[in-house]
Amino acid sequence: MVYKEVQCPSCKEIIPVSGVPGEIKKISCPRCNKVGKVTFANTVPLQDDAIMVSGLRKEYGDLVAVNDISFTVRRGEVFAFLGPNGAGKTTTVEMIESIRKPTSGTIKLLGNDIRSSFDKVKERIGILPQEFHSFERLTVIETLQYFSILFQKKADIEDILDAMDLQHVRNKLYKELSGGLKQRVGVAISLVNDPDIVFLDEPTTGLDPKARREVWEVIKTLKAKGKTVFLTTHYMEEAEFLADHIAIIHKGKIIAEGTLEDLIQTFGHGSILHLRRCNNKQIGNILKEEGFNIMNQQNGNISISIDYTDKILDILSILRHEAIEYQSIDIHRPNLEEIFLHLTGAKLQGDNT
Amino acid sequence: MNLRFIAHDFKANLKQWGRSKGTVFWTILFPILLILIFGSIYSDTGDVRYSLCIQDLDDSTHSQSFLGILQNVSLLEIKELDSDVNITEYIQEHDISTALRIPLGFGSKIDQSFINQDTTAEIIYYFDPSQQTTTSIVQTILSSILQEYNLAVTGGRTVVVLSDSATVSEDFEFIDFFIPGMIGFTIMTSCIYGSIERNTKYRKDGILRKMLTMPVSRTEWIFAKMLFMLFLSFLSTAVILSFGFFVWGLSIHLNIFIFIIIIATSFLFSGIGMIIGRFVKEEETADMAGGAITFPMMFLAGTFFPLEQMPGYLQSIAQILPLYYVNESLRNAMIFNNLDKTLFFTGAVILFACVFFIIGAVVTKWKED
Ligand SMILES: Nc1ncnc2c1ncn2[C@@H]1O[C@H](COP(=O)(O)OP(=O)(O)OP(=O)(O)O)[C@@H](O)[C@H]1O
Ligand SMILES: [Mg+2]
Repeated sequence: MVYKEVQCPSCKEIIPVSGVPGEIKKISCPRCNKVGKVTFANTVPLQDDAIMVSGLRKEYGDLVAVNDISFTVRRGEVFAFLGPNGAGKTTTVEMIESIRKPTSGTIKLLGNDIRSSFDKVKERIGILPQEFHSFERLTVIETLQYFSILFQKKADIEDILDAMDLQHVRNKLYKELSGGLKQRVGVAISLVNDPDIVFLDEPTTGLDPKARREVWEVIKTLKAKGKTVFLTTHYMEEAEFLADHIAIIHKGKIIAEGTLEDLIQTFGHGSILHLRRCNNKQIGNILKEEGFNIMNQQNGNISISIDYTDKILDILSILRHEAIEYQSIDIHRPNLEEIFLHLTGAKLQGDNT
Repeated sequence: MNLRFIAHDFKANLKQWGRSKGTVFWTILFPILLILIFGSIYSDTGDVRYSLCIQDLDDSTHSQSFLGILQNVSLLEIKELDSDVNITEYIQEHDISTALRIPLGFGSKIDQSFINQDTTAEIIYYFDPSQQTTTSIVQTILSSILQEYNLAVTGGRTVVVLSDSATVSEDFEFIDFFIPGMIGFTIMTSCIYGSIERNTKYRKDGILRKMLTMPVSRTEWIFAKMLFMLFLSFLSTAVILSFGFFVWGLSIHLNIFIFIIIIATSFLFSGIGMIIGRFVKEEETADMAGGAITFPMMFLAGTFFPLEQMPGYLQSIAQILPLYYVNESLRNAMIFNNLDKTLFFTGAVILFACVFFIIGAVVTKWKED
């Protein structure tokens, strides 16, 4: 069924109509009763969504690893699937890649139901599995050629090397590369067939901040090339930095979804005031008595949730009144980490400050 | 069947194999090392002195002076045999490669030769043809001694001659026994471990998962890998055989059965590796499981020691081990040249290969749970 709104040519009334593609439907205007025809285009939607997941569920015995999730990823989007360890990210992504079998639910890739026509989309997707290691004793260029040979559609390997900034290591053995370079080779491998959708399962886990940045740059390049990127991560900065569209998964359920802006608007009320190195360790209790919402405190470092801007002045006057000194004060909008904390009461991941 | 992929995969495997010191060691150097070590332990060729048994049936002054000369040759270690010993039986029983018999009438023939110049005195050289190196060295030594002896006795006229008599022994040398066992063992280890690696390491590293999402079928992948395993098996066989030939003078019967046995053996042990890889997920544990299977099998299946030397219950255990059939089929085809036994054991190997490879291919899962 396709829905459409048409305007009555005589009275300008907007009329909602529905029909099947290819149908020519007679309607009459509810206001002026003028009769006309509405044609529904034969070619269905403008473009299929890249990924459509609905009611997806996976059980391992008693454990429900993925619990009836649904979402849609548009073409050209960088979609971040954000969640802590064990949230169900890999299970979900591998069900979409047809590596694991869902307990129930439907998955469509580029409009094809993967249960019946996964072979049709193999040429159009590229994947980087979690903790992927390629053949240790092949060079970078040999590795890319090896995977490339399998596909009908081939990207130019030199272009990939350029885009992934791998030209300088093209003749190095895979096992001799640093972790960051290995991951970049992994991403490069997923591009040998010039895919429409690229799946990257935790491409930066275990990398140092510099190597992580480099992988981020590579992912930006993918987006610039118009690829749809499905990225799983437990680093909130990664999602903030790269994603157009974020879904937060926790214990197998999607607990929030939207653009970064959406998520902050919806889940992150007000702002957060952060005081560093107060000389009075009682500050938390003092503010609590005044009715402030203390989010976090540790040795004189304290975060306070603020819903109205006036409250900032209140805090400042309390500090002056109590003669409390501090090293710095800053006010910022909540980030994903704080939203996650707010939604689950749990920390996303310890090592990302 | 994507032949381009298969060819390409073969090339990639070859490169990786050549770049890995470990695999080159296990498939080529290790067998050579074992052949050398075991060969030297069980063969007398390692000695600088060559032992030579002598049976003097003449017991004349001439024969005794000839014996005296031989005893002074430092390269030879002379062992005298009693005159009532059957020399060919003795040689076979005692694993002796060279012996000399001075027949009755040796001395009188030399004396006679001074009257009738056509008379010659023969001494008979017995040797084991499978011990080429030793026997030819001893023969060379004997010839040069005879030359000098003739010169000394007759002033240049040839009177004493060496006549050859090869002892075709049914008792084969240890190396004949050992080389086929070594081939079976090498194919077993490289196929089992290769297969385990493909099914555990590649699973852990995400390579199998990646393959699942690419346009390649499991059959193509398995076929490509088997092609490479066959290549390795033939390579190991060729290396072991050449070594056996050049160093130990091994002589084998080349026939179509050897070919068939090697192919079947490769499938057989790759199948076993696949089964291990399916049920033991971690790479290290799987390697240990591989060792737990190959190591006892190596001893129990009569790889390095003849089964007949083992207690009866161990011999019956061997009957259920695939490697036993591999060893026996190779020995019968290569060395003993016994067609009936070759057919029987080769048939058994093919049967084992079908069973294990099919089970292996069926239980191997690419998909995750
Ligand atoms: N094959 C399996 N059998 C049983 N349980 C599994 C299996 N795979 C995953 N699980 C469980 O399902 C849950 C989700 O796992 P999953 O690997 O999808 O998480 P994840 O979000 O990818 O985590 P990580 O960040 O650690 O990769 C976990 O509790 C995990 O233990
Ligand atoms: Mg994961």
